[in-house]
Amino acid sequence: MPQNLIRALTPDQADYLRDESRLNGQAEWIAFPETEQQLREILSSCHQAGRPVTVQGARTGIAAAAVPMGGVVLSLTRLNRVRGMKRNAAGHYVLCAEPGVILSRLRKQIEDKHFAVSDWDEPARQVFEQFRRDRAFFFTPDPTEATASLGGMVACNASGARSFRYGPVRRHIQGLRVVLADGQTLDLERGREKADGRTLTLRTEQGGQLRIDLPTYTMPQVKSAAGYYAADGMDAVDLFIGSDGTLGVVSQIDLVLQPLPDLLWGVTCFFGEEEQAWQFTEQVRADSGTELVALEYFDSQALALLARYKASHPAFTRLGLPQRPFGAAITCEFQGEREAQLWDATEHLGRRMEQVGASPEDSWVARTAFDRDRLLFFRHAAPECVNLEIDRNRQQEPSLTKLGTDMSVPDDKLQAVMRLYREDLKASGLPYAIWGHIGANHVHVNLLPRNTGEYETGKGLYRAWANQIIAWGGSVSAEHGIGKLKTDYLALMFGEPGLADMRRVKKTCDPRFLLGRGNLFAPPEGRGSE
Amino acid sequence: MRIVVCVKQVPGTNQVYLDPETRSIIREARHAVLNPYDAFAVAWAAALGKQHGWETLALSMGIPAVDSLLRDALCRGIDRAVLLTDRLFAGADTWATANTLAAAVRKLGGASLILCGKMAIDGDTAQTGPELAECLGYAVVTDVTEIQALSGEQVQVCRNTGDGMQQLQVQLPAVLTVAKDSCETPMPSIAGLARGAGRPLACWSAADLGADPGLIGKNGSPTRVVRTETPPLGKQSRPLAGTVEQQAAALEKIIREIVS
Repeated sequence: MPQNLIRALTPDQADYLRDESRLNGQAEWIAFPETEQQLREILSSCHQAGRPVTVQGARTGIAAAAVPMGGVVLSLTRLNRVRGMKRNAAGHYVLCAEPGVILSRLRKQIEDKHFAVSDWDEPARQVFEQFRRDRAFFFTPDPTEATASLGGMVACNASGARSFRYGPVRRHIQGLRVVLADGQTLDLERGREKADGRTLTLRTEQGGQLRIDLPTYTMPQVKSAAGYYAADGMDAVDLFIGSDGTLGVVSQIDLVLQPLPDLLWGVTCFFGEEEQAWQFTEQVRADSGTELVALEYFDSQALALLARYKASHPAFTRLGLPQRPFGAAITCEFQGEREAQLWDATEHLGRRMEQVGASPEDSWVARTAFDRDRLLFFRHAAPECVNLEIDRNRQQEPSLTKLGTDMSVPDDKLQAVMRLYREDLKASGLPYAIWGHIGANHVHVNLLPRNTGEYETGKGLYRAWANQIIAWGGSVSAEHGIGKLKTDYLALMFGEPGLADMRRVKKTCDPRFLLGRGNLFAPPEGRGSE
Repeated sequence: MRIVVCVKQVPGTNQVYLDPETRSIIREARHAVLNPYDAFAVAWAAALGKQHGWETLALSMGIPAVDSLLRDALCRGIDRAVLLTDRLFAGADTWATANTLAAAVRKLGGASLILCGKMAIDGDTAQTGPELAECLGYAVVTDVTEIQALSGEQVQVCRNTGDGMQQLQVQLPAVLTVAKDSCETPMPSIAGLARGAGRPLACWSAADLGADPGLIGKNGSPTRVVRTETPPLGKQSRPLAGTVEQQAAALEKIIREIVS
């Protein structure tokens, strides 16, 4: 084993045993590769020794995919360089970045057009020169947690509010370099390595060959980050995106940049009744043009929670809130090149508000950087208040964790699922708050149990909802991934045949079941452990 | 009774370019934003105007593209706006700017209350508000954190003195420069946007003001930017050793060294 690369995990490295899910794991070893070659040596050594490996990025995930269950923690935080730039066949700029690059830092670099290019080859520098002189660009995925790493975002096919218009991470990946569990490498380019029906044949750079029988299931026709992606004739890159660190370790991500529109407006509409907001969503979604990039929801409980924290917590004193309580709010985000286009779209929202019985006086239009910052504070305050609430409840009962759903349904089930949540929650008496990406029929129900009894009640509700949502053709995870916390729901969604299909794929890529053990499904008993 | 609120366009980015000749900031429409302090002045003006039924007017001197900032003020509840734009205004320092704004206020027939942001984040001088008061012969209070009461004759305010709060009653007409976070700054509503689009926005030139050419623009500016420089950024690492008390003492010495 390369002793200098894999070291014993020390007590002061306990942070590497958990992530934002707040689940605590355990591990004996830890490694911080700085190059793809080191990554290969580490994986090859673990493969020979039969040591399980848990891949970690920035540990901002909330499904516990990065929490180790023994073996080696493989932290990619030092694989954090942007290695070059190229243009794809469509002429888009493509950045070649290592998996440990942090999203917020990358955004700043793209905005400032400032990269450390001294190590780049000449063609990459030439493309960068064109990029520097060109207009502004951006990487569209916008998960709430901007300190996420690119590798983590690829692992769970992350998305965020603007995925309503731009789609999840998957849509913006041109290629991947992947190190397999045994240390062999794959260089994958979208459009180049494609499946023949449901069979994917890949050749490693070391001359090995993988013949992968892809899962036979049909993917849900909704926003989804649950289970391995499978479709006839699919691209190989899509198999590794959203695979929760179980099929290989990504060592380079080629990500596509999009032109940044000049104008960005956020319009928040307030409604007396939640039903008005749901109807409004359906109407606005149906008649939206390309300028609508996000459609975000806050229910009455989320608004009430914000009001309570504004009144009681110094960090939220400056939070802008409406003068009186409302039943729900929807934030519509618009991007465009012409002010007249966004004026029209905004006025149209006003008419839609009136049609559902709300007033255009009860709205906020954020058109300036000053107002957009305040709107961002409002949107991000909801998850922060929920986390504070959970921490407060944990002081009384340390075993409690947040129960947050991440499920999506087809368009025609939006009102049904919102009603289902509300009726069940009212009947249970559990404290909760709902917000999220209502444009994609994907809201996060955050249950805030105060004791173990309420926690069990919440888990029961979650399971019942998952069953109903699967019956409606929805997904049990739309953007967070399955990790270790949602494996039961993945089993409900794809059934035993679907899980068997996924295990078969896993076995081809990682025969000893060493990578991301416990993510997606339980490993076969007695295999691969020391 | 009338409230005038003065607003300024500032660069919305850290990448600021200086004119090599005049050494003043090159002002472009792109990336230009409302000076953040002025957002609070606009919010105060809109709220006080609504509360007391006074007319509110937003005033700015700048390039033609500044009209979008004034339109934004109209969407936030200000009744009308005037943009002072003319090549003759270019190159103005704070004194020439104050003279230009004062000429506009005189043309309007005066104001009961003039609100400005405490300072602009590009020049950081905090001079224009007080100089405007001087030009008009109005009372002035700077760094106002709260406007507590307003009547036809006087205004009661609270201001930050740096080492405490001071409460003052001031005879109108008066100029107040307001602090950041001194009030809530409600965003305009969709309905407010529609109202703002229909409100009057006038453009006045130097000739419209009948301003003395010796008091405006570069000619009216007694100050010149002779040189601009970026202060050197230093970074050093010094290990501290010894007991906690010794390390604290060493740290204190370093801090004194830096601030002296």
